[in-house]
Amino acid sequence: MKRISSATVRLAAAGLTVVSIATAVGAGLAQQAPNRKPVEIGVYSGRHYNTDKELYRQFTARTGIKVNVLEAKDDAIIERLKSEGRNSPADVLVLVDAARLDTATDQGLFQPSRSAALQRDVPANLRDSQGRWYGLTRRVRAVVVNPKLVNPATIRTYADLAKPALKGKLCLRDRKSPYNQSLVASQMILRGDATARNWVRGMVANVKQPFFTSDTPLARAVARGECAVGVVNSYYVARMLSGEGGAEDKRLAEQLRVVYVNPSHVNISGAGVTRHAKNPQAALRLIEFLASPTGGRGYAEANNEYPLKGVGDNPILKRFGTFRADGVSVEQIGARSRAATRMMETNGWK
Amino acid sequence: MRRASLTAAVVLVSALALLPVLVLVGYALLAPGSSTLQLGAEGVEQVVNTVGLVIGVGMIGALVGTANGWLTACCLFPGRRWLRLAQVLPLAAPAFVLAAVLVDLGSRWGFRFHGIGWAVLLLSLTTYTYVFLLSTESFSMSGHRQLEACRSLGVGPWGSFRRVALPLALPSIGAGVALSGMEVVNELGAVELLGVPTLSRGILQRWQGEGDLQGAVGLALIALVMVSLLVGAERWLRQRSRRWNMGHDGTSSLQWHLSGWRSCAAQLLTLVPPLISLAIPLTWLVMSRDHLQSDSPEELVALTLRSLGLALAAALVTVVAAVVLAIARRWIPQPFLRQLTFTAGMGYAIPGTVLALALMLIGGPLGLSPLLLLLWGYSDRFLAVSKGGLDAALERIPPSVDEAATGLGCSWTQVLRRVHLPLLKGPLLVGALLVFVDTVKELPLTFSLRPFDFDTLAVRVYQYAGDERVSSALVPALLIVALGLVAAVALMPSLERLGSGQDRG
Repeated sequence: MKRISSATVRLAAAGLTVVSIATAVGAGLAQQAPNRKPVEIGVYSGRHYNTDKELYRQFTARTGIKVNVLEAKDDAIIERLKSEGRNSPADVLVLVDAARLDTATDQGLFQPSRSAALQRDVPANLRDSQGRWYGLTRRVRAVVVNPKLVNPATIRTYADLAKPALKGKLCLRDRKSPYNQSLVASQMILRGDATARNWVRGMVANVKQPFFTSDTPLARAVARGECAVGVVNSYYVARMLSGEGGAEDKRLAEQLRVVYVNPSHVNISGAGVTRHAKNPQAALRLIEFLASPTGGRGYAEANNEYPLKGVGDNPILKRFGTFRADGVSVEQIGARSRAATRMMETNGWK
Repeated sequence: MRRASLTAAVVLVSALALLPVLVLVGYALLAPGSSTLQLGAEGVEQVVNTVGLVIGVGMIGALVGTANGWLTACCLFPGRRWLRLAQVLPLAAPAFVLAAVLVDLGSRWGFRFHGIGWAVLLLSLTTYTYVFLLSTESFSMSGHRQLEACRSLGVGPWGSFRRVALPLALPSIGAGVALSGMEVVNELGAVELLGVPTLSRGILQRWQGEGDLQGAVGLALIALVMVSLLVGAERWLRQRSRRWNMGHDGTSSLQWHLSGWRSCAAQLLTLVPPLISLAIPLTWLVMSRDHLQSDSPEELVALTLRSLGLALAAALVTVVAAVVLAIARRWIPQPFLRQLTFTAGMGYAIPGTVLALALMLIGGPLGLSPLLLLLWGYSDRFLAVSKGGLDAALERIPPSVDEAATGLGCSWTQVLRRVHLPLLKGPLLVGALLVFVDTVKELPLTFSLRPFDFDTLAVRVYQYAGDERVSSALVPALLIVALGLVAAVALMPSLERLGSGQDRG
């Protein structure tokens, strides 16, 4: 009779061995002098680009501060930080989108911090009034137009998307997109609730159903002429143009016209020092580095985003031309986004 | 070693399994600002879609899984062995990856993969393996004597399948369908990409989008009720078809030789599902040769090792816990404890994101190690996966065996070691394999609970796919499938041997 138990023991040993090897590999087993413990900070980030890690390495090379990273979805990170409370190993929290920064602020996950460098590098409407978080990169909600079907000059503002002339020609992402939620929130702030509601209704009436679940397929659909107009973050188009998605995507993106309406809605990724940071000073240094023109450029270029000021020197973004931001403070957008989502839901934005 | 120790073990396992749920319910009740659960038009749509998905996927999965289980266990046709192994592939391919690849491919050709029809097809493909594995184990172990009787009476393969083997395998098929139903209730990524509003999406929306935890827990309870109904229905089926048999009795394996069109049909039926689940990513690969991107080889090795280690550990812990619960149900006549073991296996019904939250609530304040929490989460979720087949298999062992053994003075531990475990080797292997494959592709728990700098294959795939970078997601996704296949290759031959009676414990 074969004994299960011996197989079990073998399996157990194999499992534990692999776990320990994996942990060792995962930790990278940095060779450090045993008696001097270097300063370490933990970063919880909602961004996940391999180039971000390269930037953290640069930061370590400059300052000697070691950076441990955990990247996950913004919402999951917020919950984790909340539940860890004072035990949390995180010193810096990086989040994408105004509403999430607002949520984290509301839940008391950040601590206020002041720094001359950050006051200088981060425009006032892209940071929290109490210094709990600071913007690091900007992303623009752009209108993409297929010039064969619609004259791009006819789209000057987001309001033009609700015109009856676009009936059945407009493609939109679903309500789940945080970028759409923030767009609607900023319109509510700029134009008042009633006007924004009518605008949403007008757009929903124009939408070629079903709503898209991601931006890249939406941009492709506009390029192929399945719809004439769409709304996406410009970096998705930039990514297609860069050839990262292959020759076919590049060819499709060439057919598109990226229209920055006047004024354009701008969203950010941002970071702050966590409330229970063990190393708030070192954490602040990392945020300063990421917001500085050098670090910020790397953070923005990772995803074809815009730096905090100007358009940077990304050749593809230069092709899109300049844009005038609507200047609505990110703090306000975050505070209104929940109301925006509810309004979208009641007016048929799937 | 009396039964007291068994009782203690059951209470411990059940307590660990149920604690997260209790914490969550308590948290929701105590959270400030109570809300009444208002479904609203969208909530109703979410419930209807979820029910529709469960029924659709259950039906297709039962048909395909049972057919392929029978064909590869009891019929002989060219390529049978390989095709039997290949049935694990669809399970190993994460549904959200297939969905992401389909949506991406479709948008290049101007076709929209969207809506509940596609969701049913896709989820049937990725979950029918549950039914296949549990039923094939049952088919290869059960009722050879009856089948021989059929043969000597001139009943053909179809007749013997319908009149003898199928009724014997019903409990296993039911357990498989229940598992696939739970998986479907839980599915998040694929239904989001295909634009189908479901309960699991609603739960997340309420909790994270609207900060309404009570509403989220309310929806989660609806999901839990649905799964309880599923499991209840499956048990009822099982009780109606209670038959015992001792597996094979030393006769050589009994199989029907298929030839001509029958053999072709069998090959086709068993080939198509694995082929589709491989064809989707491979089509993408072929079409996108020019811009496939990949992490560095060292990085890929590290990712793979972490996935492998977690999955091995999870498989081990889960299988041990499942044995404790399954055996206790047999030995301890107390209704309360039996109920407890039943409830403890419900962890699979809790959406992974919600379970992750519960574990954070427990682990955060206590400062528990993230890896420990992860293992706890995996075993809690996949307990049902490893237990389903065990329960079904235990029911096939006649109680007279236990009685004979105890009559001869064996304690329950001796009976377990000398009688049950050898007879349960098949379902134990299947359970371990399922948990392994499920853990490798598991997302919400791994994503929320892992420690610093501890990405796994599934995490990386999800980050890339969620970022609409399919070109970078594909290599780690294929590695996930490869790990599943390796596990199948390692474990399935033992099933073959068990079925053919060469490896009697």
